[in-house]
Amino acid sequence: MLDKLKKLHWLDYLVLAVVVGFFGYIWWQIEGVLNYNWRWGQIPNYIVRYHTGREEWFANLLLQGLVATIRISIYASILAVILGTILGIARCSANLTIRMLARTYLEFLRNIPPVVVIFIFFFFLSQQLINALNIESWARTIARSDDKAVWEFFFGDMRRFPSLISGVIVLALFESAFVGEIVRAGIQSVDKGQREGARSIGMNRFQEMRYIVLPQAIKRVLPPLANQFITLIKDSAIISLISVQELTFKTVELVASTRLLFEAWITTAAFYFVLCFGLSMLFRRLENRGQRRR
Amino acid sequence: MKITRRFLGAAMAAAIGASASMPAFAQSATQGLSSESVIEAIKERGALKIGLSLFKPWSMRDLNGDLIGFELDVGRQLAEDMGVEVEFIPTSWDGIIPALVAGNFDVIISGMTVTPQRNLTVNFSMPYAYSGMTILANTAMTEGFALEDYNSEEITFAARRGATPATVIAEMFPKATLLLFDEDGAATQEVLNGNAHATMASEPGPSDDARDNPETLSVPFNQAYQAGGEGFAMRKGDPDALAFFNSWITWRTNTGWLKERHDYWFRGDEWKAEVAQ
Repeated sequence: MLDKLKKLHWLDYLVLAVVVGFFGYIWWQIEGVLNYNWRWGQIPNYIVRYHTGREEWFANLLLQGLVATIRISIYASILAVILGTILGIARCSANLTIRMLARTYLEFLRNIPPVVVIFIFFFFLSQQLINALNIESWARTIARSDDKAVWEFFFGDMRRFPSLISGVIVLALFESAFVGEIVRAGIQSVDKGQREGARSIGMNRFQEMRYIVLPQAIKRVLPPLANQFITLIKDSAIISLISVQELTFKTVELVASTRLLFEAWITTAAFYFVLCFGLSMLFRRLENRGQRRR
Repeated sequence: MKITRRFLGAAMAAAIGASASMPAFAQSATQGLSSESVIEAIKERGALKIGLSLFKPWSMRDLNGDLIGFELDVGRQLAEDMGVEVEFIPTSWDGIIPALVAGNFDVIISGMTVTPQRNLTVNFSMPYAYSGMTILANTAMTEGFALEDYNSEEITFAARRGATPATVIAEMFPKATLLLFDEDGAATQEVLNGNAHATMASEPGPSDDARDNPETLSVPFNQAYQAGGEGFAMRKGDPDALAFFNSWITWRTNTGWLKERHDYWFRGDEWKAEVAQ
């Protein structure tokens, strides 16, 4: 630590002082204009609280929201990777129709704002799917039964299961376009000679994909995919608009109930930051280790 | 041969379909209406799904993160009287009417003021509550103002987007600038910061805010505006549901239960210890 400090040039200190001064000035300005009664003391209660009635510790609004966000992000990324891989392979297909269809889907998603996409997918797609499969009454049956603990561990309150699932579907459909592009780039980055080699030893198109192209492509697309996963966590805030009970939605509810306007939003921002930054650090480590082994 | 047989089959099916539907139409229409009513769906499901958006003190989260408030009392009692379970579905205010129309829940009980514009999309029951809106003003910025003084280009109002106060402000003070926010807290904060002169909300919100910030905020006029009345909102084309909810509201009004609950949440402050202030 001290060694690192010694390496700093006097200019570094100057830059640091200017930055600190700049933010100090902004803070001083805010304090002057902002007529706000800070109540940070309330926030820990909304993360974990001791329930006076049930006499146990429980996760309150903000932590419930964080857990829901993590659940949704994991399920949505699994689904997005599956859909995205199909889309990526379709983009490299020899068949023109399939290629055009995949391209249409992709361009449609890339050129419409996420909010609009999410509303369209929610009302026209996921909602219909849930009604058609009768997911709601199935989830309610589980919510009423006694052995629901396993289900609740994976999906939270089963009565809100349809909303969780539509959130996952909407988010996965949206992200699949970007995953698809990553996969396509991966597939196309595999040298042409590899494909020709596969053909020359008598593999068919499926075997060529399965044994030669995809294994190499996957290795290359893992870092960008990890990045896309972090983007997905951040994008998941959008589905609060369709009333999925994740972190952002819970924060809105908390603010509406308590007027802890800035405390709640700053805490939520911190949650997202810790989650995304932590994952980004983790992925970087895994990547470095993978490279060293090679 | 094959073609003619297939054609014959199709023609016969069409003929049977037409003859079956035509005479029976009038008779089955009334049966169809009542069997397709949301009331039947609720009974069959054994659960009443209520859509709501959080507005203090209509509905809010208490210290344990559970939903409490006037709407919750109304919803629970309604479900109990129907003999079914109750499920509350918190929904963002912007999308609550589309969500009802899409079938996410059976009814909106969320302090929704009856307005002709909304009525074009959904049906309303008779009012189950009447709340007046008052002006919450930044005291220093509006010193000595009469009501007419608020209708000027120099005045800025803040309000919640899509909520009734925003419409009322636009109607009462057409010259003033209107800033829109996603929830009431942000609108009040703008008045506190001096970025807006005033906001409007249904009581007791403004009086509570004025009490919490006595140096900055005040409710300048005692009068409440636009006591239009709040109703349950349901999908159109369902006379049975409309009749049922209307009867329930009449009954609960006559027994005095609705007034008692309304007074508890809107006049009293016993519940305030349950919510972080």
